[in-house]
Amino acid sequence: MSTDINLLLRTDEESLRQKKRIKILNLVAIGSLIVVGIISITIFILIQVVNPSSAKKEQQDVLEKISQFQDRQSKLYVLNNRIENVGDILKIRRNISKTMSELLAKIPAEVSVNSLIIDDKSVTISGEAKSLSPIADLIDNLSDMVYKKEIIKSLTLSSLALNTDGSAFEITVKSDL
Amino acid sequence: MKEKINANLKSLKFVFNKNKSYVLPSVLILVSILLFFQFVIPEFSLLFKTQEEVSALKAKTELLKENLNMLTNIDQDTLDSQYNTMILALPVNKDYIEILNTVNVAAQKAGVSLGNYSFKVGSLGKSDSADISPLIKLTVPIESGLTGANSFVQIINNTVPLSQIDAVNVVDTSSSITLSFYYKLLDTSNYSQDALISPVSQEGLNLIDQMKEFKAASSFSMPVIPTATASAVKQVGAEF
Repeated sequence: MSTDINLLLRTDEESLRQKKRIKILNLVAIGSLIVVGIISITIFILIQVVNPSSAKKEQQDVLEKISQFQDRQSKLYVLNNRIENVGDILKIRRNISKTMSELLAKIPAEVSVNSLIIDDKSVTISGEAKSLSPIADLIDNLSDMVYKKEIIKSLTLSSLALNTDGSAFEITVKSDL
Repeated sequence: MKEKINANLKSLKFVFNKNKSYVLPSVLILVSILLFFQFVIPEFSLLFKTQEEVSALKAKTELLKENLNMLTNIDQDTLDSQYNTMILALPVNKDYIEILNTVNVAAQKAGVSLGNYSFKVGSLGKSDSADISPLIKLTVPIESGLTGANSFVQIINNTVPLSQIDAVNVVDTSSSITLSFYYKLLDTSNYSQDALISPVSQEGLNLIDQMKEFKAASSFSMPVIPTATASAVKQVGAEF
């Protein structure tokens, strides 16, 4: 019964399986080396293909061409800068000239203006007329401007008097801007 | 004890001999894995980095091409004219000569005589304030009453360099006008060669036309050395 035949048979099977495993393992090992090598070479080639030197050269060429227009580029930059700043200034600039011209338009011709003081906050007008009628017109006109919220926000009658020789009425009004 | 060790060594030898065929492929697989992590992955990173670099270069080149195209198609004479108008409207430095010129021309046009006046210019090399719009203030006495003062104010309000009338004081036949002239140093901190050069907008063109009208109002202007013009270009040119 020392039929080691079975055992021998087993050994052969085991040996075959082992050889097969080794063969597969060898294939995997060589395959992995080849795969790593191929990937590495492929990436190397791709890096060479996408080399930025040609793009850099193209950019350099364009920059050289642009440098010929440096004066234009500078002027255009300054121009756009000035446009932006002038636009801002025109938005914030106080327009006393408009205030002045519109107020003068409201003063009747019969009223002679003795003084006019305008600053950024208020306006003071002093004048005289031979009768009260043009003075009343002046007050009406200015009151109307306050009512319509044109230029002035308020109107204060600072003084209204007959001058010393009785020849004219003098008026001083003050308004907030 | 020695025997035991011998037994273990024998066991190890036995195990090694039995499995030595696995050793070489296993080592090769390990080497492959090591190579993958040590070389392949960094090469991938390098590839992506290179691609990004090339993309950035191409994008910048396209932008520069657009700028070049824009600059090539600009009419030099038109640009010069627009530039001179705007630099006169808002000087890049304290252009006191042009201020004196403007005040005198406005007085001539208004038909009024100016009294003695002076103004403090201050440092010529830098702005006195960090405001959006620094100012040079002056008070101009006018030997004229309301009509002349009003005329002067209307004229100077529509001339260049741009100014602002701060106060008007008219008493009988003498007046004084307090004015502030604008100037603005050129700020080149925002300048970048990589930035897209914008053409002048329609709003900007309208503004230039308005300033040209203001400039025409100063037509009696005596020739003035364009110090502001030269220094502005020089200042930006230095940034290139």
